[in-house]
Amino acid sequence: MTDTTQLAIVKRPLRWGRVLDHLVLILGALFMLIPLLMVLQTTTTTDLETIKNGPELVIGDQFDDNFMSAMFQASGFSGENTGIQMLINSLILGIGFALGKIAIGMMAAYALVYFRLRFATFAFWLIFTTLLLPLEVRILPSYEIAQKLGLLNTYTGLIVPLIASATATFFFRQFFRSVPEELVEAARIDGAGPVKFFIDILVPLSQTMIAAMFIIMFVFGWNQYLWPTMVTTEEGMYTLVRGIKQLTQDLEGTNIPKYGRANMLALIAILPPVLVVIFFQSWFVKGLTESDK
Amino acid sequence: MKRAGFATRWLPILLLLPQLAIIALFFYWPAAHAVQSSFYLEDPFGFGSSFVGFDNYTHLAGNSEYGRIAQFTLLFTVLVTFFSLALALLLAVKADNVIRGAKMYRTLLMWVYAVAPPVAGFIGLLMFNQNWGPLAELAKSFGWDFKLGVNFGDTATAMVLVSVWKQVPVNFIFFLSGLQSIPKSVREAALIDARSSFRRFWDVTFPLLAPTGFFLLIINITYALFDTFGVVDVLVKGEPGNNPMTLVYKVYVDGFRGNDIGGSSAQSVILMVLVLALTIFQFRLVERRIHYT
Amino acid sequence: MKNIAISTAAGLSMLANAAFAETEITWWHAMGGALGDTVNEVAEGFNASQDEYVITPVFKGTYEETLTAGIAAFRAGEQPNVMQVFDAGAATVIAAQGATVPVQDLLETNGVDFDIEDYISGVRYFYADADGKLIGMPFNSSSPIMYYNVQALEAAGVTPPVTWEEFETVTAPALKEAGYTAMSQSHLPWIFVENFMSRNDLPFATNANGYDGADGTEILINVDPLKDHFTALTKWQDAGYFEWFGTGWGDNQTPFEEGDVAIWFGSSGSFGGLSQKDLGFDFSATYLPYWEAVTTEPKQTFIGGAALFAMSGKSDAENAATAAFFEYLTSPEVQYMWHRETGYVPITTAAYEMATADGHYERFPAAETGILQLSLDASENTRGYRMGFYVQIRDVMNREFGRVLTGETSVDDAFNTIEVEANELLARFAQTQN
Repeated sequence: MTDTTQLAIVKRPLRWGRVLDHLVLILGALFMLIPLLMVLQTTTTTDLETIKNGPELVIGDQFDDNFMSAMFQASGFSGENTGIQMLINSLILGIGFALGKIAIGMMAAYALVYFRLRFATFAFWLIFTTLLLPLEVRILPSYEIAQKLGLLNTYTGLIVPLIASATATFFFRQFFRSVPEELVEAARIDGAGPVKFFIDILVPLSQTMIAAMFIIMFVFGWNQYLWPTMVTTEEGMYTLVRGIKQLTQDLEGTNIPKYGRANMLALIAILPPVLVVIFFQSWFVKGLTESDK
Repeated sequence: MKRAGFATRWLPILLLLPQLAIIALFFYWPAAHAVQSSFYLEDPFGFGSSFVGFDNYTHLAGNSEYGRIAQFTLLFTVLVTFFSLALALLLAVKADNVIRGAKMYRTLLMWVYAVAPPVAGFIGLLMFNQNWGPLAELAKSFGWDFKLGVNFGDTATAMVLVSVWKQVPVNFIFFLSGLQSIPKSVREAALIDARSSFRRFWDVTFPLLAPTGFFLLIINITYALFDTFGVVDVLVKGEPGNNPMTLVYKVYVDGFRGNDIGGSSAQSVILMVLVLALTIFQFRLVERRIHYT
Repeated sequence: MKNIAISTAAGLSMLANAAFAETEITWWHAMGGALGDTVNEVAEGFNASQDEYVITPVFKGTYEETLTAGIAAFRAGEQPNVMQVFDAGAATVIAAQGATVPVQDLLETNGVDFDIEDYISGVRYFYADADGKLIGMPFNSSSPIMYYNVQALEAAGVTPPVTWEEFETVTAPALKEAGYTAMSQSHLPWIFVENFMSRNDLPFATNANGYDGADGTEILINVDPLKDHFTALTKWQDAGYFEWFGTGWGDNQTPFEEGDVAIWFGSSGSFGGLSQKDLGFDFSATYLPYWEAVTTEPKQTFIGGAALFAMSGKSDAENAATAAFFEYLTSPEVQYMWHRETGYVPITTAAYEMATADGHYERFPAAETGILQLSLDASENTRGYRMGFYVQIRDVMNREFGRVLTGETSVDDAFNTIEVEANELLARFAQTQN
């Protein structure tokens, strides 16, 4: 640390603040990433090694084996729940959930903010209240409804019940309320109707917010465990998080759990959301900085 | 709504319909079911049931353990919300300051967001393993005999730490985009007005971040109360024992795991009322002080 | 189910036979990891053994998740044919008469010979009703046994303790002298309460341990022998004879594997995991000790683990398929295979004899301990327990025991609390049954 500071002093006027900034960021990055690197290390050693010594500073030779078994070996009876298939299922769940929620949330928020509705406040609270009770505690009746609608073992059944919460609506309401009022007036003067205003002006304007919501919702859907376990019984419908649980579950110490394979699957499960985050992040940050109001 | 809007009548209803239909089916019906169930003691398979009035509620009121769990939940929520927001804000401000490496820091700091809560729990187990967990070892080197699963306080510490670790990235993304959307002109003006960067932050930046902050506050409280469920479940290894747990986990333990439908429904109802009260309070207190543009 | 296994020869033969009208049944289970692989092997074996029926096993998460998924499915009419239910959840399923077809009825209706005497003594009654009729088919059956580090005991110059008195006065001090923590255990309610009662011939609940019905059943946990045992545990903890590592199973097993702890109380099923690890010492196993002060005639223990239940509301053809599957499952060959692969005990005497004849116990003496202990003398107190909301009762026990062992509460207070809360839960459960 002393080295860098001296360098800074020589080159420029005193930059202690900058050094501190970097220091904080480096520490933050280490705090976030070291655990992940340790998990990565355990995918290179044997399960026995992992269970005995935990993460170490050596790189073993099990990485390829663990990768191949995580991706291509099925862990069930039908042979359908390979890593690839579970990846696809998680993707469908993540994307379907994110898109569904954004579409429904935007429409509802639009109705709440831009129209004179007598029951707008009531509707808002009706929607907002859904933040108050997670699916985990209303799972039995939800299952019954899904069954009555014939949604068991379908992607729709996997996705739609999860959409019943207000996060996106709440978020878009906050955002729409901060959109300048002149826009609506200008649109009205131009003779644009509500549908045209929504599609041509509000949606493009919300681009960055949509990206942000997509990230949040995608990851939320991607990471679901309990509901998918309840609503699907076919192995071809398994998601990654469920596959990880299946691999690590052991009773009464009868076996050594397949940690290497499970940790590999866990890391694979992190990748797509990270890619989504990185992809959309550059997009929405750029969008935000350029639209300098 | 106070803003100028459209006067069309049928469109907003149409726009609200999908959202309302889904929450009616998958939220209000199950929630109503929970309220009804809370007055019964019923066989989970649906064969027998007795109406017990408020017994399920008085039973909870008379249980000192339930009070302890509520206290812990409150403390846990405050700690997780505070540290997730504070740490993320710190990192976001720093990341907004630096120019060199900004993109890299941003990317590195977001990885963990993609980790599923149960997987975050597994990583926590890895870090705090009683025999070789790196963080447990670190604590020991400071003379703290860290025992996850044995000592109440140690387990609580691990829960808070893992939950914060998991939540920092999403807050970071939002704070950073919030910071970067502050117009350049405002920043320049602030630079002239206030020389101290600390004052500048509190007087100019912080108020402008308030709408983002309020949204994040609600999201974080919801997260700490509800979505840490997977973390708690894995860290107590599915067997809470003398370890701390949150109210939602208790609902899960008694209802989902123990099939006490009446008792767990009563807990859900209490939880809903508590969170509703909290939210109304927040809206009253906070939203009036936030200025939307 | 549309899923047909195509990964194996068995699957291929099934495809070839798909022209026949096969009856398809499903089996929900909670066996993850390698146990799940063995479950799949059993299912494939059954499908290959005949061409009338096809069974599809589905992993449904933990024991609790499997049970709750099964309950939700039953309420919606989507239940599987066969469902695995764990020991503590058995009361919920058995109390809901009409949710399952008693296994014994199912077998007899479908012309499968059934004689409870064919089953190992300690296996017979845990999943049976008050009259001894078998309701659930014991599946992954295990019982707590005492594992020990052979070299450690030799170094200390002691033999495995037969009584707790011997442990206290002879074994533990010698092991401590030799540099070992004498003992750890992996499941306090199961090993030191439920099976403690059975082993020491003590009643566990009124109404014949709860078998006679949920109405008025009260737990008999606040009794001196049990309290004395836990007082002894705290004493041993202070003396360095006993260490408690939390409610996590593995956390208590690892110190034994590391050679720090000389005696570990685990499951007869843990045998498989222990032999897969390079322990660096020889391990063996024997019966749970008993308190001579409590009884001079120690009894058998009973099975934990889980059983398979045949869900009701299925067609006769499907029930016939389920019966055929149970017949296959209980055949000596399959039981021996299951026993060999997983370490769980075989449930029939015939399978045990087959394993003996095959020399299995000469190769792995510790594998026999569970069966022998389950075959010791029985009494009124050894068939098990039938208590509703037992999952929560175990939670209360785990919580209070944890507090005792971390010094937060006293043994007396803990047992008072457990008694009060458990009886409340039992009374509440009785109300769900009206």
